[in-house]
Amino acid sequence: MLTEKVKQDFQQYILQAEKGNAFTQIREHAFAEFEKLGFPTIKQEEWKYTNLKTVTEKEFQSTCEINSHIKELVKQSIFAQLKANLLVFVNGTFVSELSSILETDTAVVIGSLATERKNHEAVFTRHFGKYAKVEGEAMNALNTALLSDGAFVHVAAGKTVQFPIVIYNLVDGSDMNVLNQPRNLIVLEKSASATVVEAYFATGKNASFTNVVTEIYADENAHLEQYKIQQQEGECYQNNFTQVFQESNTSINHVTLTLDGTFVRNNLHFYMNGKNCNSLLYGLYVTGSKNFVDNHTRVDHAQPNGFSDEKYKGILKDQSTAVFNGKIVVHLDAQKTNAYQRNQNILLSDEATVNTKPQLEIFADDVKCTHGATIGQLDEEPMFYLRSRGIPESEARKMLLNAFADDIAEKIKIPELVALLEEQIDKKL
Amino acid sequence: MLEIKNLQAEIDGKKILNGINLVVNPGEVHAIMGPNGAGKSTLSAVLAGRADYEVTGGSVSFNGKDLLEMAPEDRAREGVFLAFQYPVEIPGVSTVNFLKTAINEKRKYLGLDPMEATDFLKFMREKMELMEMDKALTSRSLNEGFSGGEKKRNEVFQMAMLEPKLSIMDETDSGLDIDALRLVSAGVNKLKDGERSFVVITHYQRLLDYIVPDFVHVLYKGRIVKSGDAGLAKELEVKGYDWIKNEVEAAV
Repeated sequence: MLTEKVKQDFQQYILQAEKGNAFTQIREHAFAEFEKLGFPTIKQEEWKYTNLKTVTEKEFQSTCEINSHIKELVKQSIFAQLKANLLVFVNGTFVSELSSILETDTAVVIGSLATERKNHEAVFTRHFGKYAKVEGEAMNALNTALLSDGAFVHVAAGKTVQFPIVIYNLVDGSDMNVLNQPRNLIVLEKSASATVVEAYFATGKNASFTNVVTEIYADENAHLEQYKIQQQEGECYQNNFTQVFQESNTSINHVTLTLDGTFVRNNLHFYMNGKNCNSLLYGLYVTGSKNFVDNHTRVDHAQPNGFSDEKYKGILKDQSTAVFNGKIVVHLDAQKTNAYQRNQNILLSDEATVNTKPQLEIFADDVKCTHGATIGQLDEEPMFYLRSRGIPESEARKMLLNAFADDIAEKIKIPELVALLEEQIDKKL
Repeated sequence: MLEIKNLQAEIDGKKILNGINLVVNPGEVHAIMGPNGAGKSTLSAVLAGRADYEVTGGSVSFNGKDLLEMAPEDRAREGVFLAFQYPVEIPGVSTVNFLKTAINEKRKYLGLDPMEATDFLKFMREKMELMEMDKALTSRSLNEGFSGGEKKRNEVFQMAMLEPKLSIMDETDSGLDIDALRLVSAGVNKLKDGERSFVVITHYQRLLDYIVPDFVHVLYKGRIVKSGDAGLAKELEVKGYDWIKNEVEAAV
């Protein structure tokens, strides 16, 4: 059903698209790829545990109408109250009246992709679609063909964006099932630095499907702090693909927090195209009911002296399921690579499931790589220790789970975000 | 204060305690000694409420209440404190937060308001000075990366903070060098006020040079087979446990 729907959407798009334009061509090519591939199925290795069938059998609408009560909702969000450059998207549409840009330096562009791609055509053409490949990646192809809008960030060489850039995505399913395909492009020129927060929330009783692609390019010596918060309550499905492309001496600190959502599939890919790159990938997922969270990560060490550190932690309740698949590829030229990867899970219920799979593919000979995965329950010994001091079981459990999550929380450098995380963990556990 | 009657307990179907009788009155210090495997640690675990052990008979009353019926946290709030033989490292839980939670949970149980943050910090500073605790230790995660001696001192520091009526010290001397032993014992002695009671479980007599007991009991095969004063501990130090074992076997 979704297949028919996207086909119709694309035909409609093509009718009004500018013929022969490079952007149109990219999207035509992408849709052709999607048609060739179709939606991923569990027969494909990368989707073995992740079944999109419930999503593809549903009816969704693409809509750009915004209910007035949504505005209040956004204003109340802690993201709207942060001292930050705020870009608000509702059902994929940019809402300028809710957005606010504090940055005054004209060498920094923070805006909507639909607008800024025309104002900054050279940057757009050079980078758009260059990192998140559509070949063999059906969901990227679909996003590229039918993207709605998204964030466009361009930081000129040597510039530091003073306040975090918050890309706030809200899905409003008040009136219908919503299909939402945001697309972000973040470009840091040489020695530029920025903090970017992607936030995904939802409201309304109907279902939604968010298929988002983010491309990040970091030129030499650039630095990026990137935080992703996924907390779509209700029947929400999300496929989230991020490709980071790093030149020499860049460092990226990434944290993904998945706190809600019926179905979340994350692909986080890093490609080290230069020497001495630093890639930090951290994640925390807290799942309940029958929710499903899948984190697929891939780090390509293509050049020497790269360092990557990856740690994903999960707390699973009820009948929820988590998948972790972490791939590290050390290419032939990537000598002196250091790569670390861990996935740790705590199951709070007998009915929760974790499928975890580390994958190392090493073609260089002078490298240091480690990986490990654990799945277990909360340790009894610390529990008894806390209780023997007068702390009740429920409080002791909270303390221990917070301590478990703290490892990831401490990688976040925005205190308000850490507070939000702690509050959410307290609420959920 | 504490009255143990014919206490029997087992783990995984194996009987460890075979009828223990012990009365501890306010202000008394009792030492429980015995060879390895006599059931010393089991006794402390059963009193603190560790779930692994099953009590199969007997009773324990603490200030008139049935201790065995209570959850571990309630035992603590009633005033029972177990100093662990192997204190657990809990990364990510700050010592300060842990102590504040523990104290306020106890106050809640007793119907008192939570302690104000400033009062708590003042109280903690006092106890740190009293116990000669290094400030750096309390600013870290609970026991994380502590040496054996630091962990044991932290147990006694917690004891000072929680002000229990009865402290059970499970082989607190194990793994301590002489300096650490002195510091730990000095801490315990400072907490003696004529009301608080202590049950000191130990394999060796040396701890009892510093914490002088009013009574010494020898535990063997899950029963108290001999009781005496501090002199009994000295006798054991010289003669070992064999003569007691022989006495017991001869009586059977």
